[in-house]
Amino acid sequence: MSTNIKIAIAESSAIIRCGLETLLKRLPGFRIQISEITAADSLTEGLRIYKPDILIMNPSIPGNFNLQHLKDECGCPDMRCFALLYNVSDPLLLRPYDDQISVYDSPDELKQKLERLNAEEVSSEEGESDDQQTLSSREKEIVVCVVKGMTNREIADRLYLSTHTVITHRRNIARKLQVHSASGLTVYAIVNKLIELKDLNG
Amino acid sequence: MYKNGKYRETDKMSDLICENYPMVLVMSRFGIALGFGEKNIGEVCRQNGVDPCTFLTVVNFLTEEVSEPVTNIDKCLSIEALIAYLHKAHAYFLDFRLPHIRRKLTDAIAGCPKDVAFVITKFFDDYATEVNKHMLYEEKTVFPYVRGLLKGVRDPKYNITIFRKHHDQIEMKIIELKNILIKYYPGPGNNLLNSVLFDIFATEQDLSSHNHVEDFLFVPAILALEKTIQ
Repeated sequence: MSTNIKIAIAESSAIIRCGLETLLKRLPGFRIQISEITAADSLTEGLRIYKPDILIMNPSIPGNFNLQHLKDECGCPDMRCFALLYNVSDPLLLRPYDDQISVYDSPDELKQKLERLNAEEVSSEEGESDDQQTLSSREKEIVVCVVKGMTNREIADRLYLSTHTVITHRRNIARKLQVHSASGLTVYAIVNKLIELKDLNG
Repeated sequence: MYKNGKYRETDKMSDLICENYPMVLVMSRFGIALGFGEKNIGEVCRQNGVDPCTFLTVVNFLTEEVSEPVTNIDKCLSIEALIAYLHKAHAYFLDFRLPHIRRKLTDAIAGCPKDVAFVITKFFDDYATEVNKHMLYEEKTVFPYVRGLLKGVRDPKYNITIFRKHHDQIEMKIIELKNILIKYYPGPGNNLLNSVLFDIFATEQDLSSHNHVEDFLFVPAILALEKTIQ
């Protein structure tokens, strides 16, 4: 399943930006959207509008800023940051970054670094590392309820769960199947024989 | 994948189309037909009554895969021509592309269980309705507002920022349909279904670049226009 990632590249060289963008877009297993930031003065505004998951930034991009400040100011507290390096840099300068990318990294190295960062995010969010994409029987029950047009409240009552748990399940279902809409889930449910057409309302 | 240097009026139209075949759609949305021989872009445009500057702005915007709002919009860009282009693109999606995919899809899934065919068709119809609503809003609300601006009249109750904030990615749901067909389609494989899948891939790309033109070229142009009529 390909993972959606929004990446902002803050780098003043057009050659480096385009090169990195081309490599990133070619990586298998990711669906990457890129926004380019060409100068320090458009950094905060660019991030505030685009809200990327990951920022890849040349630490020597002119301008004096603090990474934590930047995250607060642009309203993306969970944004991960890669330092984009041309050559050896002061480790002190690099400490606030989650990881580094060198302009000499191979596409494989780039992919591994993205996967590593992404895996951390998923496991910290879900509290478990599940790489299986099939639905659990509980999740299948919830799909059936959603397809029948029940609200989260009604599903919670029917299955003796809290609405919060129902919402978490629904988020996991959407992530596993890459299907978000109720009509998409209906197709999934019919194709996988979780439900029959005559059980549907309307 | 495609060449992406800036195209100029003096480049041959046939080179543009051969190097970037999706531009055949752009050309036809500007009302230019095939069969233009050896003529260059400027000549073909003028012969068809198309503003070459607007045509080239859209072409260069798409071939350069611009992914941020355009800040230095060429003064010669004609907003009327751009609206006419967007309007033709809407007509293409609603009157040709989606009905065409629907016909092919229905034929392609005729062999699978009836209930599956039913929900897949229903999913598609729901999607088409959504696209319709999305584009109708632009036709009924956004374009008339902009045509007013062009006449120097500013509707105090509306501005282009309202549109920018509510403009959703209409291609996301067709990605869902593609995922469902690829991962869960229960019938035997067939050439027609593969062909529908190719159409869906192409339409997803086409819708996404259409939205890009609206978000990153049309909206900034209107923002600039609004500033002149404060």
